[in-house]
Amino acid sequence: MEIKDSYELPLPKERVWAALNDEEFLKKSIPWCEKLERRSETELAAEVKLKIGPMSTRFIGSITLSDIDPPNGYTITGSGKGGIAGAASGSARVKLVETKDTSSTTLSYEVSAQVKGKIAQLGSRLIQSTAKKLSKNFFGSFVQQLEDINKSK
Amino acid sequence: MYSTKYVKPNSTTEALEAIKSLGDGKFLAGGMTLIPTLKQRLASPDGLVDLSGCKLDSIAEEGETLKIGAMARHVSVAESAVVKKVIPALAKLADGIGDRQVRNRGTIGGSVANNDPSACYPSAVLALKATIHTNNRSIAADDFFTGMFETALEDDEIIESISFSKPTKANYVKFPNPASRYAMVGVFVAQFGDEVRVAVTGAGEGGVFRHQEMESVLSSNFSADSLSSVNIDSDGLISDLHASAEYRANLIKEMTKRAVV
Amino acid sequence: MNEVTKIDGIGSSVRRTEDKKFLTGKGKYTDDINRPGQVQAYFLRSDVAHAKIKKIDVKDAQSAPGVVGVFTGDDIAADKVGGPICGWVVPCRDGSATKEPPHPLLAQGKVRFVGDAIAVVLAETAEQAKSGAELIEVDYEELSPVVDFENAGEGAQIHDEVPNNCYFDWELGDEKATADALSSAKKIVKLRVRNNRLVPNAMEPRCALAEFDNLDDSYTLHTTSQNPHLTRLVLAAFMFAIPESKLRVIAPDVGGGFGSKIYVYIEEAVCVWASKKVGRPVKWTADRTQAFLTDCHGRDHVNDVQLGLDENNKIVGLRVDTVCNLGAYLSAFSVVVPTYLHGTLLSGQYDIPAIYTNVKGMATNTVNVDAYRGAGRPEATYLLERTMETAAREVGMDPAEFRRINFIPKGAFPYQTQVALQYDIGDYEPHLDKAMEMIDYSNFEKRRAEAAKRGMYRGIGISSYIEACGLAPSAVVGALGGRVGQWESASVRVNPTGTISVFTGSHSHGQGHATTFAQIVADKLGIPMENVEVVHGDTDKTPFGMGSYGSRSLASGGSAISKAVDKIINKSKKIAAHLLEASEDDIDFKDGKFVVGGTDKEKAFGEIALAAYVPHNYPLETLEPGLEENAFYDPTNFVYPSGTHIAEVEVDPATGVVQVVDWAACDDFGNLVNPMIVEGQVHGGIAQGIGQALLEDAHYDENGQLLTASYMDYCMPRADDLPSFKVGYTTTPSTVNDLGVKGCGEAGAIASPPALINAVIDALSPLGVTDMSMPATPQKVWKAIQDSQSVAAE
Ligand SMILES: Cc1cc2nc3c(=O)[nH]c(=O)nc-3n(C[C@H](O)[C@H](O)[C@H](O)COP(=O)(O)OP(=O)(O)OC[C@H]3O[C@@H](n4cnc5c(N)ncnc54)[C@H](O)[C@@H]3O)c2cc1C
Repeated sequence: MEIKDSYELPLPKERVWAALNDEEFLKKSIPWCEKLERRSETELAAEVKLKIGPMSTRFIGSITLSDIDPPNGYTITGSGKGGIAGAASGSARVKLVETKDTSSTTLSYEVSAQVKGKIAQLGSRLIQSTAKKLSKNFFGSFVQQLEDINKSK
Repeated sequence: MYSTKYVKPNSTTEALEAIKSLGDGKFLAGGMTLIPTLKQRLASPDGLVDLSGCKLDSIAEEGETLKIGAMARHVSVAESAVVKKVIPALAKLADGIGDRQVRNRGTIGGSVANNDPSACYPSAVLALKATIHTNNRSIAADDFFTGMFETALEDDEIIESISFSKPTKANYVKFPNPASRYAMVGVFVAQFGDEVRVAVTGAGEGGVFRHQEMESVLSSNFSADSLSSVNIDSDGLISDLHASAEYRANLIKEMTKRAVV
Repeated sequence: MNEVTKIDGIGSSVRRTEDKKFLTGKGKYTDDINRPGQVQAYFLRSDVAHAKIKKIDVKDAQSAPGVVGVFTGDDIAADKVGGPICGWVVPCRDGSATKEPPHPLLAQGKVRFVGDAIAVVLAETAEQAKSGAELIEVDYEELSPVVDFENAGEGAQIHDEVPNNCYFDWELGDEKATADALSSAKKIVKLRVRNNRLVPNAMEPRCALAEFDNLDDSYTLHTTSQNPHLTRLVLAAFMFAIPESKLRVIAPDVGGGFGSKIYVYIEEAVCVWASKKVGRPVKWTADRTQAFLTDCHGRDHVNDVQLGLDENNKIVGLRVDTVCNLGAYLSAFSVVVPTYLHGTLLSGQYDIPAIYTNVKGMATNTVNVDAYRGAGRPEATYLLERTMETAAREVGMDPAEFRRINFIPKGAFPYQTQVALQYDIGDYEPHLDKAMEMIDYSNFEKRRAEAAKRGMYRGIGISSYIEACGLAPSAVVGALGGRVGQWESASVRVNPTGTISVFTGSHSHGQGHATTFAQIVADKLGIPMENVEVVHGDTDKTPFGMGSYGSRSLASGGSAISKAVDKIINKSKKIAAHLLEASEDDIDFKDGKFVVGGTDKEKAFGEIALAAYVPHNYPLETLEPGLEENAFYDPTNFVYPSGTHIAEVEVDPATGVVQVVDWAACDDFGNLVNPMIVEGQVHGGIAQGIGQALLEDAHYDENGQLLTASYMDYCMPRADDLPSFKVGYTTTPSTVNDLGVKGCGEAGAIASPPALINAVIDALSPLGVTDMSMPATPQKVWKAIQDSQSVAAE
């Protein structure tokens, strides 16, 4: 399952890259994030309460950053265990490309998601749509925050 | 299922009090979606507030609308003489939901509150310009469905009834998922004089949606043939084991053609 | 014949006597049975497909509310309890043996599929056991999962004992002769077909209730089994090393099996083990998700077929290369299903002078695959009948006529095939002719044209199948690698009043044995059927028997009963001779009466029974009192049901929906004991075959997660997916058994999938579609139509 999208941001690449590495930014972007704590340069502990219809499950896990190529992009991977519901992980390959005049940046991402256990067994019809929705939520609110800050300046 | 509290109030007022006192409580309607989720332990609410004692199951014609109580079971809608007379397409829709057991328990309010992307009722609500009446406000259908399993309902807000505008003509055609018999694609077409509304369920990643292009084509020429030129974009459509987005796009057009009679 | 036997005997469609309790919800299944003080078991299962277990922490679970015990693989290993065994192995091409890796009752060191049991939690209630299991922490080191069985050889090794993930690489037939035949053939038809993976879906999920009696160190196990005696043998002799007498196995009412309840599963064994460990009865009931994840699945083959034809379109040779998926562990019959129950059927109904087949059985990180209604024979029939259809199309012959010219001629029986079997008897043209007549084959093109006017594509498809069933001659089974005998047993007890208790080694889990077996006895003894009771399913009550699968109950179990009844009649004649003061040779038995030939002196069967138990006037010097006989029947050959099914479908090109509009099934099952039950079996079999061809598909994703683990996604056939079936028969009585019966339980599931797929391809042939894989879902059919149109447009 591959999910792709991209956003144009009226900001230089360095600024976007900084935000991508700012845990406050990330925390506000991760949908239903209840806890995010830095454990190391590349790892954060995370707790997310995911609600899909009548289902509501707390996932406990981590966010890791890899393939780090400042300021051009990285891979951000979230994985968590949802107890009896199973486990889920999603990995987004994020790329930043600046326009020639460095005034704006294209953020593009490619997501792959994996689910295990009950969520896979019972919810297969919803996996793709949910993964898409969560990626959209994440990058959408990330971009929104940046734009809001930019505007308020 | 984890053990949980259960209360059965006699009115919506009591139900609201009950849910507030419970913390993270859930309303229980027909339980056809909620109970299996609880049995699988995929949710663990602090308690269940059963709405079946709240007298929300009336069905009546009210002026230019047909008003159906949230707790009306699918079987009651399917068999109601009023529904059959005023909006037969709605009775047909209810009659095609799931199986007999599901129709005997499941409710219109539960279906609409749940807003499953594959549920049938949301398409009728949207196409028939319905108004959702809750304990403290009325919400127009166009503002109600906000995404997959998401609605404009606040936490602890109860749907009390739904009033549907009487159409000149309406029809619902569904292509069932062969396994679950939920809608793989369901299309509700409603004509109000010159205006035509086409709501599609089962297909959109964000849940039920109206198809503007088909609406305008049908508004100027209400015939299946007129749809031939319409191109259904597969972008944003659900892709799963049973049907790709492309196949769903094909079904949307085909089911709409079949609904236009 | 008197009135009663006319109604009840062999050949009458008596209503099933067992149905009243089932239809009124009064059946008594294992889960309906409870024992004082019982605890409930819950199995913690792996949710990853392939991983090393680094650590299992059960501490929190042990102290959870209601929890009585938590055990892991190490606890069981400490008690030296073995795992389930493979009941039949085959030699490999290179002379080596089938690789048989151990299957621990609870995972040890590694998990090998999603659903593999890691620990068992025992608690006062099932919910408490489940909650306890949630507190167990398992630390995995994930390994790369092997899901695609065709390329499993290149994947990570699943068992140390199974190099290249290949359990066996087996062959049958003459490779050289077949190569020669194919190279001299005028035409070679090539086809690659896939037999989709199925979940058996018995209505009753598996369940076990084990108890240990410390007064005499014995166990009692109630379980959902198709063969309680085999379960006892395997558990006692191979897994627990206890005398069989110390284990009683009872399979009460069982709600369907379709093969999936033949084998001993780890859960039953763990319950037995744990019942002694905690000193309380232990009960476990699977929920539907566990059934999807852990019941053995069926089919899952890929076959490459080459069929050679001469200038007259006669078959000269057939080569089939098969790769099949056997899953994470070798289940009891998993090896024989794709080999001796598959490779030996490749001659079908056809006279094929050279056949060769190679089968590779692969290990993957999916649940075990084993017998499912038809077991091997549906796969053989599917590839052969799809190939026959394709060949007929390629040479431009009518598919019916192409089959006809290649049938084994009537006069050629007994017919020795090139793949080990010898068909005792058969006559194939009559059932082809009759099926064609039943469906009005000759007017099909008119119906196609009429459908076309409505915008629908109509197609017709044939499948002429044969199967070998009634498992089976023990000597043959043994020579081919089977580790058990395949006889069947019966004990017939005449009660003092002349009523009969039949104790059978067969097991009924929906087949209607209580009715059919009673009919045989009633017919032979000339007594009303109500006077015959059939007892099965309890190792303490019934003689050692092999159970029910492989359409063997009537041919083997029924024959054993028939033989025991013959013994009863023989002894009764001796008693009658004494009572009637005649010579035994002069006694005739007819219509329930023993008559001195040529006189009016007679004794009714009831009088003989009474004399046997109240032997006041009885030849005690020469004859034992009482009237009870055992028989063990070991057939000399398989029985070979055959037939032709013809399906007619309509395809809606706008949606790809295939509607089955007509179906003719003409089967040769030999003599029919109860035609109504036979018809029911045919209907059920076809329904399952239509399920396989149109709807059912077990789907694992690339990580080994089962995505079709509920009825939301796994599609079972429903009544409105099926047409009204036309069922007919031809009859060549089996020469193997006295009753002249064959088997009918699996035939429908064997015959139907290729008939249906052939019909779909025929329907779409005007569009240039030549292939279609199972299941032919609406999306797949629609896509094939789209693709054919874009090809046409190019
Ligand atoms: C096998 C099967 C097949 C089905 N097939 C179909 C189908 O073909 N088409 C279709 O449309 N549906 C189908 N359904 C769903 C069915 O229609 C259910 O009735 C529906 O999903 C939920 O309604 P319910 O009354 O059972 O609600 P519940 O399961 O009791 O509740 C669902 C959710 O809605 C909330 N809720 C319920 N009532 C209210 C209210 N009045 N106000 C606020 N919140 C409320 C609950 O808190 C819960 O979160 C199927 C279900 C099953 C089990």
